[in-house]
Amino acid sequence: MLNGFCAPIIAARRNGYLPVDLDALTGCLASPACLVTQTTSGFIIGMLLFLVAVGLTLIFGVLKVVNFSHGAFYMFGAYFAMTAYQLSGSFALAMFCGAAGTALLGLIFERVFMSRVYGADVLMQLLVCYAFVLIFDDVVRMVWGPEFRSMGMPAAFQVMPLFIAGGVVPPYYLLLIGVALVAAVILGLGLARTRLGKVIRAAAHNPGMVSALGINTGLIYGGVFALGGMLAGLAGALAAPVRSLTPGMGFSVLIESFIVTVIGGMGSILGALIGALLIGMIRSFGSLGFPLFTEGLMYLFMVIVLVIRPTGLFGKEVA
Amino acid sequence: MTELQAERTGEPLSVARDEARSQRSRYLDVLMALAAFGVLASLPLFFGSKALLDFVIRCSAFGLFATSLNLLVGYTGMISFGHGMFFGLGAYGFGLIMQRTGIPVPAAFVATLVITAIIATVIGAICVRLKEIYFAFVTLAFQMLIHSTILSWASLTGGDQGLRGGIPRPVFLGIDLSNHVHLYVTSCALLVTGLLLMRQIAQSPFGYTLRMIRDNANRASFIGIDVWRAKLTIFVLAALFAATGGIVMALFVSGAYPEFAYWTISGEGIFINMLGGVTTFLGPMVGTVLLLILNDTVTRLTEYYGIVLGIVILFFAIGLRKGLMDFVVEWYVQRRDGAGERG
Amino acid sequence: MQRTRKPGISRRSTLALMGTGAVTFATPWVARAQAKTIKVGMPTILSGRVAQLGTSSRNAVMLEVEKVNSAGGLAGRQIEMVIRDSKGAPQEAARVARELVNTDGCELLIDAEASSGAFAVHEVARDLGVFCIHTNSETSALTADPKQHIPNAFRAARQGVHDSIVGGSYAAAIAKTKGLKKWATCAPDYAYGRDTTGEFTLYLKRFAPDVEIISESWPKLFQPDYTEVVTKILQAKPQALYSCLWGGDLTSYIDQANIYAMFSQMEVFAVNMADYTALTVVKNLPKGIHSGNRYIKTYPATAENAAWGDAYKAKYNEYPTNWSWENATAVTLIAEASKKANSADGKKIAEAMRGLTIKSPFGADGTVTMRAEDQTLIGYAIGWGTTIPQEPYVPEVKAGDWKTILELEAEWKKSKGYA
Repeated sequence: MLNGFCAPIIAARRNGYLPVDLDALTGCLASPACLVTQTTSGFIIGMLLFLVAVGLTLIFGVLKVVNFSHGAFYMFGAYFAMTAYQLSGSFALAMFCGAAGTALLGLIFERVFMSRVYGADVLMQLLVCYAFVLIFDDVVRMVWGPEFRSMGMPAAFQVMPLFIAGGVVPPYYLLLIGVALVAAVILGLGLARTRLGKVIRAAAHNPGMVSALGINTGLIYGGVFALGGMLAGLAGALAAPVRSLTPGMGFSVLIESFIVTVIGGMGSILGALIGALLIGMIRSFGSLGFPLFTEGLMYLFMVIVLVIRPTGLFGKEVA
Repeated sequence: MTELQAERTGEPLSVARDEARSQRSRYLDVLMALAAFGVLASLPLFFGSKALLDFVIRCSAFGLFATSLNLLVGYTGMISFGHGMFFGLGAYGFGLIMQRTGIPVPAAFVATLVITAIIATVIGAICVRLKEIYFAFVTLAFQMLIHSTILSWASLTGGDQGLRGGIPRPVFLGIDLSNHVHLYVTSCALLVTGLLLMRQIAQSPFGYTLRMIRDNANRASFIGIDVWRAKLTIFVLAALFAATGGIVMALFVSGAYPEFAYWTISGEGIFINMLGGVTTFLGPMVGTVLLLILNDTVTRLTEYYGIVLGIVILFFAIGLRKGLMDFVVEWYVQRRDGAGERG
Repeated sequence: MQRTRKPGISRRSTLALMGTGAVTFATPWVARAQAKTIKVGMPTILSGRVAQLGTSSRNAVMLEVEKVNSAGGLAGRQIEMVIRDSKGAPQEAARVARELVNTDGCELLIDAEASSGAFAVHEVARDLGVFCIHTNSETSALTADPKQHIPNAFRAARQGVHDSIVGGSYAAAIAKTKGLKKWATCAPDYAYGRDTTGEFTLYLKRFAPDVEIISESWPKLFQPDYTEVVTKILQAKPQALYSCLWGGDLTSYIDQANIYAMFSQMEVFAVNMADYTALTVVKNLPKGIHSGNRYIKTYPATAENAAWGDAYKAKYNEYPTNWSWENATAVTLIAEASKKANSADGKKIAEAMRGLTIKSPFGADGTVTMRAEDQTLIGYAIGWGTTIPQEPYVPEVKAGDWKTILELEAEWKKSKGYA
C-alpha cells in the first residue's frame, strides 16, 4: 500500500520536475551579479505589490473593515483607463479616468452599502463585498466582453530599459515605483502628522465623540473608502499597459494584497511596504530555489507570521 | 428547581426530570432521523428520475459540509474561511486510497477520516488559539496552502486535472456504489447519520459549553473550561463531517479535483449558512437546498449567474439580515407567544 | 341528420387536457423526449476567466448546426442545442452533463469543457453510456491512456503530443541553422504547461541533440506579474526561449517582456502565438516570433478554410479561435457519422464514427480522420511559421508531416506505457 504512494514521488524525481532546486538558489546567492539582479527584481515586484495593496490596508486601518472587493476596484481602474486611452490616446487622461472613476465608485459603494455593515461581524462584510465582486465581474463582462483585452504601452515609454546599480529597470516601472513611494509618504506622514490625518484617526477610534464635536463622520468614512478605492483603481490603471485585462482579474490581486497586508499588519502603511518587499524577495529568490512551489512559499510565510504574530509585523493590537 | 430550593423544601432535586427530558429529545431526534431516512430511501420507488436522486446526493455532500461549518460558526463563534480544505482532503483522501490500494470501501472511509483527523488536529492546534478575524485569516491561509500543494504535487494528486480514471468501487456488504440507487441510499444514510451525530454534539453538555465559549470566552475560561481544548475538539469534529461530505462528492463525480479544496467551497459553505440561518440546527440544510436550487435554476436560464447570486446575497445580508430558518423560527415563536398571551 | 353536441367538455377532452396539464406543470425532474428534434447537450465554460473558450465554442457549434439542420438534420431530426455553463468547476461540469442527459433528455453530448472539467464529463459518459465527443481538451492522456478508453467517448481536438512533435522538429531545424544551443522554457504550472513543455523538449533534443535547456520557469496560471520570470530568463542569457503561455497570460508576458527588451536578445518560440485571440489583442507585437497555428484562416491556404473563417467573422464580428474549429469539426463528424449510419442513435453514431474520414477545411490534406484505435482526431493541419504584426499575421507556414507525427506518437505511447 505504501508503494502506491511512494512511486509517484520517485517518478517525479526521475522526470526531472524537481520541486526544489537549491543549487540554483545557493549559486545565485554566491554570485554578486545574480544577487543584484534578483534583488532589483524583488524590489520591483514588491513595489508593484505595495501599490496595489496599500488601499486595502488603509481602509482596514481607518474603517476597521476588510474590503474584499478591493480587486474589483483594481479591475475597474484598468478598464476605465483602457477605454479612456482608446478614445483619447492620452496616457495622462487614462490614468486620471481610472483613478477618478474608482474614487467615485468607492464613495457610492461605501455610502450606500458598506456603511450598513460596519458594526456587523466580518462574515457580513465579506458577504456584502463578495456579492459586489460577483456583480461587478458580470457587469464588466457584459459591457466589455469576456475576451481578454490589452491597453498597450504608450509610445513615450517604449524605450530601452535602464541599468541602475547593476540591475535592469524598465523606465515604466520607475514611474510605478515613484507613484508607489509618493503614495506611501503622503499616506504615512499624512495620517500621522497632519490635522486631517488626526481627525481621520480619531473618527476611526471614536466616531461618536468626533461627530459630537461637529465633524461629519459620514464624510470622513466615505472619503477614506473613496481614497482606498482610488488607490486600487490607480494601481489597476497603471498596471493596464503591461497586463492583460479580463473580467475577474481582480481576484489574484486581492489574494496578493491580502497576503501582503496580513504579513505587514492590517492598517499599517509601513507594514504594507515591508510586507510587499518581503513577498517580492520571496517571489524573486523563491522562483530560483522552489520553481514549482513559489506560491506555496508565500502562503507558508503568511501562516508563520499569523501564528507567531497574528496582527502582522507592524500591526497594532485591535482593542 | 434550584439546588437551594431543593435544600429548603427537602424535595429531591428534579435533575432526573431534566435528564428524562433530554433523553426524550434524543429519542425524538433518532425517530426523526429514521423517518427522514425512510422517506428519502423510498423516493426512488415513487420517482424514476435520476436527476432527483442526483440532487439529493449533492445536498448530502453540501449539507454535511455546511452543517459542520455551522458547528464552528453558529455554535462556537469560530468563523472559519478555510473549512473547505477538509472537504477537499476527504475527497482526495478517499479517492487516492481507493485508486492506489485495494482495501474495501468501509475501511477506506475510516482511513480517510483518521487521516483528516490527524491533519485537522495539527492545523487546529495552530489555529484555534487565534481570535476572531485572525482565526479566519489563518484558516484561509492554510486552505490556500493545501490547495497549492495539491496543485504542485501533481505526481500524487494529478495536479490541476484531478484524480482521473474514476474511483473504483468494489462491492461491500452487498452494496454496489456504482449502482446509482445504492449510491443514493448510502449518501442519504451518511447524511442522516451525520446530522444525527452533529445534533447530539450540539445538544450535549459539550455543545452548551461551545455556546458559552461563543457568548463569552473569558467567562467560560474563568469557570474552569479549557477553551483551547474545546475549540480544538470541535474543529476536528467539524473537519470529520466536512470530509464525509467530500467523500460523497468524490463518489458522485467519481474523482477529486483541486476545486474541492479551493476558497470557493468555503465561500459556498458560508453562503449556505447565511441563506438558511445559523441559529437553528437545520438552517444549513435548508440553505443547502436553497442554494442548489438557485444554482441549478439560474444556470439553466442564463450564463450571468454571478449577478443573480450577488443580488440574492445582498438581499439576505443587508435586507433580511438573517437566514430563512431564523425567520421561520421567529415567526413560530411569535405565534406561540401571541397565542399564549391571548390564551 | 342533426348533429347534437352535449354542452361542456367531453370526458375525452378533459382527460387530454389533464394529461397536457400534467406534462406542462411537471417538475423539472421529469424528462421530456420529443421525436421531431434531437437534443444535443453541451456543457462548457461561459463565465469566468476562460469564458472566451465557451463563447467561441458555442458560436462555432451554432454556425455548423445551422448548416446541418438546413440539410435535413440528423437522420431527419433537427438538432436542438442545449448549452449550459459550468463556470469552470469540474463538479458543476459533471452535474450539468448529468442534468443534460437525465433531465433535459439530451441524447448526445458535445463536451466543450477544458482540462479537469473534461475528465469529469468523461466519467459521466462512462457512467451513463451516453455518446460524448470532447472538443476542447488537448491532454493526450484523455484518449491515449487505456484506462480512459470507453466506446462512447471521442475527442475532436488537437493533441498536445502532435503539436510538440511538429514544434520540436521545426525548432530543431532552426536551432541547427542558427546555432541555438542554449534554450530557456517558460510555461504555466499546470498539466498542459508541464506536459507540452516536456514533450517539446523531448522532440527538440531528439532532432537537435546539441540543445541544452539551461533555465526553466513555471509561473502560475493567470499570474498577473511576470517580472521574476523575465529577469530570471534574461539572466540565464539563453539563445532561444520556448513558451506555451496562452491567451491573456501570453499577452501580459509579451507586454512585460517588451519593456525589458527581451525579444531583441533571443529567438522566441511561442506555441500559442498564432491564434487570433493573441494576435489581434497584443498591441506591440514583436516581429519574428515562431509559432504554431492554433487557428489561422490562411493556413491551410485553401479557399474552404478562408471562407469558413470569413463566414464566422461575418456572423459574430470576431475572429474564430482554436476552440471554434475543434467544435465545428465535432458537429461535422456527428453529421457525417449519422448520415453513414442513417440514424441519430448515439450508439450507431459512435460505431460509424470510428475510423471515419471526412472532408474538412481544417485538414492538412483537406480531410480529417477519427482514428478508431483511440477515438481521437488526426490529420488536422499543424504548421509553424513566424509572425508579423499585421494581417495575414503568419505569411508562411511550414507544414507538419503526419507520417512522421504518427510514427513518433506510437513510439511516445509505448514509452508512457499506454500502448
